[in-house]
Amino acid sequence: MDEKEAYTQRLKAAVHYTVSKLCQSTAADCEKEMSRQAMAAIAETTFRQCEIFAQDLEAFARHAKRHTVTVDDVKLLARKSAALSSHIQQKSEEMAINNQELKEKRKKNATKRKTKEMEGNEGETET
Amino acid sequence: MAGQEREVVFKKETVSKLLMMFFKDDKSKVSNDTVILMAEMLRIFVIEATRRAIKQAENEDCVGVDLEHVEKILPQLLLDF
Repeated sequence: MDEKEAYTQRLKAAVHYTVSKLCQSTAADCEKEMSRQAMAAIAETTFRQCEIFAQDLEAFARHAKRHTVTVDDVKLLARKSAALSSHIQQKSEEMAINNQELKEKRKKNATKRKTKEMEGNEGETET
Repeated sequence: MAGQEREVVFKKETVSKLLMMFFKDDKSKVSNDTVILMAEMLRIFVIEATRRAIKQAENEDCVGVDLEHVEKILPQLLLDF
């Protein structure tokens, strides 16, 4: 039990770190300063909100009779606000395109390597 | 804008560990794309909270953003997500 608590604390610290960096950069944009307590409060809120997100995602995946949470579940999670929903949709489309490009590149590289190997083998047999 | 130079994002590892910890069923898994998208969701959440707190402080004519401003924007923020 103690070990689990330590693990939770470590994750909380990681969240706190990123949240304070985000807060500071946003506050710098608006030329304002944030107190440490304010940042800590947002970090704690984010941590708790993440728990709600995770449980929702799990429930969505379970409803679709899956064990793996997919991008579609995240899209469903963002349904409450139209702007957020369209942003997430756009982001996921970008990722899909990127993934496709990566796949094609890998395929090309694989075929290139194959032809090179063949050429190399031919060269060896000639000499 | 300072944020555009190098965007601050949650680490993929952190997000995936967070999600795995909160899952009730041990069998639940997350795909790689999901983790990236969830990191973006959390980033938006934090930025939205910060912006609202800053706006609240501005409305009250305060120089810095303090805990009370975060407390005031919290209920509506949670309803919006």
